[in-house]
Amino acid sequence: MAFLELDGLTKSYGTLTVVKGVNLSVDKGKLVCLLGPSGCGKTTTLRLIAGFVPANAGEIRVGGKTISSAHSTVPPEGRNMSMIFQSYALWPHMTVFENVAYGLKLRRLPQSEVTKSVRTILSATQLLPLENRYPGELSGGQQQRVSLARALVIKPEILLLDEPLSNLDANLREEMRFEIRRLHDEFRYTTVYVTHDQAEAMTTADMIVVMNDGRIEQAGSPEDIYERPETEFVARFIGGTNILSGTRGDKDSVVGEGGLVLRCGSGSTAASGKTAVSVRHHDIELSSAKPKSADTNVTVGTVTRQIYLGSHRDYLVSIAGGETVRTVAPVNVAIPVGQEVWLHFPPEKCRALAQ
Amino acid sequence: MTSDIQVQALPVQGRRRSIDISWPTFALLTLVLSVLVLLPLFWLVYYSFRSDTGAGATFANYIALVADPTLLRAYGLAIGMALAVGVLACLIATPMAWLVARTDLPGRRTIRMLVTASFVTPPFLGAIAYEILAAPNSGIVNIMYRSVFGLEASEYLVNIYTFSGLVFAIACFTFPYVFTLVANALDKVPSDLEDASSILGGKSMTTLRKVTIPLVLPAMLAGTLIAILQALTMFGSPAILALPAGFHVITTKIWSLFQFPPRLGLAAAAALPLLIITVILLRAQKSILGRKGYTVLGGKSGTPRITELGPWKWPAIAFVFCVLSLTIILPYLAIIKTAFTGTVGDPINLSTLTLSHWRFVLFEFSATQLALRNTFLLGFLTATAVTAIALIVSYLVIRRSVPGSGFLGVLATAPVAIPGIVLGVGLFLSYANPTFQLYGTIWILLIAFMTIELPAGYQQMSSAFSGVHPELEEAGRIVGASRLRTLWDITAPLLRTSVVAAWCFVFVGTIRELSATILLTTANTKLVSVIIYDLNESGDLGAICVLGIILLAASFAVVFIANRVPVLGGSQMNTRG
Repeated sequence: MAFLELDGLTKSYGTLTVVKGVNLSVDKGKLVCLLGPSGCGKTTTLRLIAGFVPANAGEIRVGGKTISSAHSTVPPEGRNMSMIFQSYALWPHMTVFENVAYGLKLRRLPQSEVTKSVRTILSATQLLPLENRYPGELSGGQQQRVSLARALVIKPEILLLDEPLSNLDANLREEMRFEIRRLHDEFRYTTVYVTHDQAEAMTTADMIVVMNDGRIEQAGSPEDIYERPETEFVARFIGGTNILSGTRGDKDSVVGEGGLVLRCGSGSTAASGKTAVSVRHHDIELSSAKPKSADTNVTVGTVTRQIYLGSHRDYLVSIAGGETVRTVAPVNVAIPVGQEVWLHFPPEKCRALAQ
Repeated sequence: MTSDIQVQALPVQGRRRSIDISWPTFALLTLVLSVLVLLPLFWLVYYSFRSDTGAGATFANYIALVADPTLLRAYGLAIGMALAVGVLACLIATPMAWLVARTDLPGRRTIRMLVTASFVTPPFLGAIAYEILAAPNSGIVNIMYRSVFGLEASEYLVNIYTFSGLVFAIACFTFPYVFTLVANALDKVPSDLEDASSILGGKSMTTLRKVTIPLVLPAMLAGTLIAILQALTMFGSPAILALPAGFHVITTKIWSLFQFPPRLGLAAAAALPLLIITVILLRAQKSILGRKGYTVLGGKSGTPRITELGPWKWPAIAFVFCVLSLTIILPYLAIIKTAFTGTVGDPINLSTLTLSHWRFVLFEFSATQLALRNTFLLGFLTATAVTAIALIVSYLVIRRSVPGSGFLGVLATAPVAIPGIVLGVGLFLSYANPTFQLYGTIWILLIAFMTIELPAGYQQMSSAFSGVHPELEEAGRIVGASRLRTLWDITAPLLRTSVVAAWCFVFVGTIRELSATILLTTANTKLVSVIIYDLNESGDLGAICVLGIILLAASFAVVFIANRVPVLGGSQMNTRG
């Protein structure tokens, strides 16, 4: 049975509903990423789980016990969770040691045990030499690790992370992604991680939940989300893609406005009316002559922009029907702007999207 | 760390069922603040419709307000005086602020400190200093003038007991409001705005005229309005300088209505327009400072550009020295001299130096000890109560823990629009009746001071609270601390410095209050500020100066102790970032 369950969870502020009936089950020991653009309701969902905001409808259950519902909310301090905040929220008047020890002291553990646990976690996060420093005397990455240590030391039932890496510079951010995954593999806490950075989600998560406008668009493993997006939003948000719209053809094909027929290897088309196909930039094959092998999934277009990026070239090609396709090609495929070019969309890379 | 200690969660032990106390707190505070703020206003309005002879509801008071020439004249003079003070303060303060903030004038930092220090001078003490300096007969300046030119005893150079003397004396102690606002605004106008004008071909005077001055204009206007407001609602200085000159301003006129036979209804009716004018002025000030497009005043970036004075350096120094002499150096020298010599006119030499005033004040004058005890007790109680209330109110407002808590913020800010004398009238009417019988006790003064100081305390605490990131508190909650525990362990230590600063601010403000006090004090509840006023009526300037020095010394001592004692916050927190 799932350990953490969100059931029809809804939150409104006045007339504005920011979380609209979210259903989600998280198994024990898994790391789940809530991923979405800003304003999609992911942080509010996290704060609902933490108990900082009461729900308007629906329930949150942990291990089968309801902790939030429209009628009652267990306060944050009664949930045995811990959280890592965007600002780290280290208490500036306490040393590293005191910051980490605070949660244990609240649990009235004997001093010797507190010291032992704090030292253990500080060495796991490589902070032991800094235990007597104040947060103001630490670098950004060190503050981040103190924040992790403080959250982990109390052995929470659920660990919550609210965009924990957004204040770090690019290099450190990459390093800390792996650090978070490493600590998760070591301690196996059920974790909910909020981010708007897909690379962060891909690196750390067992399951990615893509949110948009207060709803869950799709939930699944990183492979699922990237390779088998179910909606246009997910396809666009994760990894970037070309969306070609058209109407449903025979069997598994979609006919574009310019007459391009795309056979789709996966996905499902809308039963009637407009439907769409997603093809990733790097999955499109670009050549100056017409490919011989195929009669479908091929079209001709004109290069409207070409940029040299060192490792590859980035093309914009406008095709019949007025759509523009973005694709990448090896550096040695250099076709100048204005020239005719052939595009091949391999069927196994074309994913039909019903919505 | 291995997997055997993993998943056993550590629950928080010994948790009691927590009761949410924010609602009862909210209700209690709403009640307290309503009593403090709304009750006096209610009685003020009520009495303004009551006949003083005891017969029912009437408009007679309002009719008298329009018909009584002495009242109208008092209002006219007060408004004229306030406007004159505003203009004078602005004329002195703006060039000085520019010199200090934007030129290479030597000693800029010292000048700024001196002007800020003059905030601490109670205005009534300033007025008394000018009595010592410029009274027509006994004023030091006039005595020197007569002895230099060998003139008759009836000749004088300056006379402070005039309308212009009053304007001058008040402007001397209100110009720091304009100065501070304008200087801060000039600090914040980023140099790139001026650089942009220069690169487009603007000469430095053009840039000053077209860019810099328009940008600080709101600050100038706002500061001037504050100076006008201060002058309009001031009681001490007009009472000391205008009454001997034979005219009333509105504050002294209201006070005179309390003298026998008291005309309470008329006083209430006369106080209300003052309240309305204050509200209008404050709204005007707010809208001027809140105008869009001037947001750069809150901005960042760029060191201000410094103008080199060149040959103008000496005239500039002369100007600043002249202003500082008139507003700080001469008044303080006069006060110190008077405290240590026999009479005001005595020359200073070994034979005239005496401690007789100190002996008189500290050991012979019966009222001193009681007044000192009352003053410091009230200062202590007011500062503590106001800081505590402001702390809780700003917590509720900033953290929005109870719906409708914004209303508490409005209540806590409202008294800023109630002039001291108006509040004095309102409180007298509220608590001098047989139901409460607080008149004649120090409690009515405590209520008055709490109401007066609440806005300042609230403003300081709420800006301190916004400086504490809510996530710091949430981090405490999520690892298992209750709301109160979080407040105690995390918020309180982080706010300590601000709390101490707010406490000092309120304390210093309280021990020098006179406008409301003068209506609420009795023989048993004398305060230092009141006996200074009483002694002035009997002409005992030496004793006044001794008391003034004690008052100032106490203010500085409190501020000093608060900044130095580490337990109270001091500077230890700042080094930790």
